[in-house]
Amino acid sequence: MYTLSTCPWCMRTKEYFAQRGIPYDFVDYDLADFATQARITRELDAAGASGFPFVRIGGEVVQGYQPARFAKLLGIANQAP
Amino acid sequence: MSVESRKRALRYFFAKVVEPMGFKFTPDHELAEFLLEQEVELESKHGVPFCPCKPIRGDRARDMQIVCPCIPFHREHYDAMKRCWCGLFVHSDVTDPDSLPQLSAKDLGIER
Repeated sequence: MYTLSTCPWCMRTKEYFAQRGIPYDFVDYDLADFATQARITRELDAAGASGFPFVRIGGEVVQGYQPARFAKLLGIANQAP
Repeated sequence: MSVESRKRALRYFFAKVVEPMGFKFTPDHELAEFLLEQEVELESKHGVPFCPCKPIRGDRARDMQIVCPCIPFHREHYDAMKRCWCGLFVHSDVTDPDSLPQLSAKDLGIER
């Protein structure tokens, strides 16, 4: 997932995965180097996305904190852990 | 100026700007305080209070569209969600901001 260190919805997204024991990789866009930022913005633009969090699960992209979509794509129940 | 006093100043200024557009600060006080603090830090670093949830690209034209409150640049999208992207502002009739999902313009079928 691509996130920002200043974004509360990015924090909630990381918590969502962590609380369910689902491993994930992330890059905080604002803390990344210029080349990484450029690569991320190209990915955002290609997906028609303009904000964070930007989550890729399998071949699907979820933009925003969307617990129901995370659960569906992860094949888990949409409920609190 | 301290972070707290700058947050108060942004609150005063932002309210004047967003209320005529039918928005208000989120009733989630903790979320609003956190977002304002991030904006004060972003303003200190970049000179303007950028949205804490959108990428600063280094492209002036695009970056100016994410200076808070960025509602005028994303009006159709935010009106459809009844909130702005970061959730600092919600429609004036909203009492339960947690009920408002964070959906992309693409999810909502809105052309950007």
